[in-house]
Amino acid sequence: MEGFYKFLENNSIFIVMIIVLIVWIGIFAFLSILDKRLKGIEKEIEGYKNEK
Amino acid sequence: MVWKIFLFIILAFVSIAGISFPIVENPQAWYQFPLIPGLEENAKIIFFHVPTAWLTVIGFLMSTVFSIKYLRKRNLDDDAKSYAAAQLGLMFCILATVTGAVWAKFAWGSYWSWDPRQTSIFALLLIYGAWFALRSSIESEDKRATLSAVYSIIAFVTVPFFVFIMPRIMDGLHPGSADDKFSPSGGPVVNFQMNSSMLLIFFLSLIGFTILYYWMWRLGYKSLLYKEKLNKKLIRG
Amino acid sequence: MKPYALFKKDYHSELRTRYAINSLVMFIIVALSVILFSIGNEKIPQNLTAGLLWVVIFFSAMSGLSRAFVSEEERGTSLILHLIAAPTTIFSGKLLFNLILVFLMNIIITILYSVLFEEFIIRNFLLFFLTFILSNIGLAIASTIIAAIISKAGAKGTLYPVLSFPILLPLILISVMLTSYSMVGTSFADAVIELAVLACYDVIMLTISYMLFDFIWKD
Repeated sequence: MEGFYKFLENNSIFIVMIIVLIVWIGIFAFLSILDKRLKGIEKEIEGYKNEK
Repeated sequence: MVWKIFLFIILAFVSIAGISFPIVENPQAWYQFPLIPGLEENAKIIFFHVPTAWLTVIGFLMSTVFSIKYLRKRNLDDDAKSYAAAQLGLMFCILATVTGAVWAKFAWGSYWSWDPRQTSIFALLLIYGAWFALRSSIESEDKRATLSAVYSIIAFVTVPFFVFIMPRIMDGLHPGSADDKFSPSGGPVVNFQMNSSMLLIFFLSLIGFTILYYWMWRLGYKSLLYKEKLNKKLIRG
Repeated sequence: MKPYALFKKDYHSELRTRYAINSLVMFIIVALSVILFSIGNEKIPQNLTAGLLWVVIFFSAMSGLSRAFVSEEERGTSLILHLIAAPTTIFSGKLLFNLILVFLMNIIITILYSVLFEEFIIRNFLLFFLTFILSNIGLAIASTIIAAIISKAGAKGTLYPVLSFPILLPLILISVMLTSYSMVGTSFADAVIELAVLACYDVIMLTISYMLFDFIWKD
């Protein structure tokens, strides 16, 4: 662990890399959730149509 | 579902590789990038800046294709698709402008220097702005769809002048300009000083960003579609 | 009905009020005097002179050329035009009118400009002449089709320059380049590519306008 910290302190570009990765995971998760929600709405609208 | 995982892996790999792979003078191992004189570490912007500019043009192209489709079939769904594509295009256009300007401050010395490609991205920004201004000024749905479709086609035929002709007849700083000493004839936009690993990551990045664009576009236009459907349902009761 | 007849009708109604011509001439004078005031006694470099000429031309065009279709909508005569003429005829007539207006306007601007600005000396006259003709044609075509869009949209006055500028930008950039070339005295052979691009722009705009005018007009 100690060595890892040293390594990060000397190569700060890897910190940037980790941050960009986290941001990308965040965007991806957001998009997935949005996609799921839209699918739910789609189902609701179609079901509503069938009831009528 | 598979393509989403594929997309996640591609862009994660691009951001790992694009940021952390070392730049050395004589690349030996597959993960080393060549040193481009005058750019050094700055060269890494190509993995993130060029895709945004590419998506700006793709967004505009898609918007125009759906505009043509609307004019032929008069289906308002096509207008929604065109609108969603243009919205994303505007977003990526702003991203490309801002990332380019910030980068240019450190690589070329000033935020904005009216290089022909900077001029062309600025013109695209203006076109998008004008398009949304036109849309917001019209009340009637059909009229708005028709007029904005016509305007986007007219604007689209001027884009080749900015993207392909102007950078080649004017002097500039981007690769591929008229005074570029590496490709004097005004060669391809991608200057092939990159080695194969850099090219591979660059094209992976383009593919990844394009899939991301497609996903975002689908979400955007579906939400517009459902909003429309719900509106109609509420009116009919 | 022939395009010429439509042109004649526009010509006569223009002569009756002289709205477009008067406002154009006044606009040219205002724009030129603003530039002259701001320059004062300074000497300005040559390429700036070429750029300023096109600033005046662009804004003068924006002030007068939208009248072609907006006046029809305002008077409520567009429906009657619908009945008596085909869309292409209407577009040709309006284009003819705008072409004459643009040429008149730019001749006035160029004469005034060369009188008022001492730096404005054309060394390659043929090049300037060709640039002048080709860019005037392009300006007229693009501003006519945008005027047609504007006349159908809600906000009529303010949107016109906003919509026209991106469309006219390639034309303006190349014309500025060519104008400064002809002031420097570049030989004709060196400027052939730029002239070809300008001609390309005119042809593309003309084709696309005739193709799309139907959709705007039939709305």
